[in-house]
Amino acid sequence: MRTTKLIAALAFAGASILTAAAHADNYDIDGQHAWVTFTVKHGIYGIAHGQFDAVKGSIVMDKADVTKSSVKAELDVGSVHTAFDQRDSDLKGPDFFNAAEFPTISFESTKVEKVDDKTGKVTGNLTISGVSKEVTLDVKLLNEAPAPWDATLTKAAFSATGKVSTADFPMAKAADGFGLGPEVDIVIDLEAVKK
Amino acid sequence: MSAVLGNPMVTTAALPLLLGVALALAARFTLPAASPVLTLLWAALLLFFYWDTLGPPVMPPVAASQKLIYLAFAGIVIGLLPERVLGRATSLPAVVAFAAAFLWLGWRRLAGGALDLQLIAALAVGLLTMIGAAMLAARQASQPPSIEEPFLAPAAVLALSLAGAIVSVLGASIVTGQLLGSIAALVGGWCLAQYLAALRGGAAAAWSKGVEFLLLYAAATVLVQVALLAPKANPAALILSSLPPLAVALVRGPLQNLLPGARPLRPLVAGILIAVPAILAIVTAIVWAPHGAALGFS
Repeated sequence: MRTTKLIAALAFAGASILTAAAHADNYDIDGQHAWVTFTVKHGIYGIAHGQFDAVKGSIVMDKADVTKSSVKAELDVGSVHTAFDQRDSDLKGPDFFNAAEFPTISFESTKVEKVDDKTGKVTGNLTISGVSKEVTLDVKLLNEAPAPWDATLTKAAFSATGKVSTADFPMAKAADGFGLGPEVDIVIDLEAVKK
Repeated sequence: MSAVLGNPMVTTAALPLLLGVALALAARFTLPAASPVLTLLWAALLLFFYWDTLGPPVMPPVAASQKLIYLAFAGIVIGLLPERVLGRATSLPAVVAFAAAFLWLGWRRLAGGALDLQLIAALAVGLLTMIGAAMLAARQASQPPSIEEPFLAPAAVLALSLAGAIVSVLGASIVTGQLLGSIAALVGGWCLAQYLAALRGGAAAAWSKGVEFLLLYAAATVLVQVALLAPKANPAALILSSLPPLAVALVRGPLQNLLPGARPLRPLVAGILIAVPAILAIVTAIVWAPHGAALGFS
């Protein structure tokens, strides 16, 4: 009798896990439809805009339990551009992103919180120049639907905003008010392809 | 007051220059040149400028820029070894310390595997500064001491730092440029006061082996970082910047005949000869500077 109950309990637990797993969908970030942009104070004057073109990563979205969702993303520092070649190469230099030593920026989520049906907060470790700091992004699910031209292709679109301080990272000239920084506003819009 | 100290030109040039003069006066009137107290004063000033330029030390250091202050500290520890230990071991600690610094600063670049022009230049800078430091460490003072002898090592550090500072700034690595500029001004202040003393008929104070090592080690490791990580820094200028310590051996050897007989001119000419590669480095960096370099951040 006890054995039967144990088997039933294990079967129920297994079924629950499978059901939960069934709710978790996996996506690959579509690098051709990803805009990781930032604005940052430029010296004592205005606001500079920039973007990373090379973005890759993956998203796990669990609609039944959003807290089980996760995000991993990587940016190629060499792809940063701000509409001026000289500034772009300066940004890749040792006083800012230090691309020769740390060619990528990464983000890996540690916590996802639901705010409402379409919005949430994603907290994770942002690693720039080898130093990781916790950052929270406000994320909105814009849409998820099959492509009108291909029913087998399902994409989800997300929008996210957040703030970081360059003073948290080894970016000397972005932290002392000399050039760009220290407060940076991040705006991310991306589409992800369901696997 | 804080606005004055916050001005990079003050902390990079004026303040270290004055402190270098003050150290020279201390060595002239209150402390023997070989005194460990004088070595500690050099060390304290060096760390002050590292802290001021790079910020407080980070533990554990991850980026190369965070490692520089620890390397300076390691150089200070080696520099504080008793003179007889440094003298007996001659160039071995210098070689080991320079090789270790290069690998620690550059392992990520080396692990990247791309042997591009910048990495070749960085390897050359690392090798040349290592050989130069070893030769400086191994040299014995001439007997009787010549008037230019106390100026040779300071001239090498000054020339390397000054050229490195300009090459670094023109290569869009402002922080390391400021740091090298501070070291150049500090040593420049010392040289200026010592030369004025020599002109007045006095004997210039020579650096101890320890001070020689810790200052050259500090300047050379910053230059190595520029070579490794500043892709816009001119490779030829970087290599030329690393040559002044080697030029000391030439000035004490084959080029000695170029030194004039007039005693006051000998340190000046010796210094200029040692600085020739540095002058070429500065000219190279300026002539082939990237468009818009050093005209303010873009």
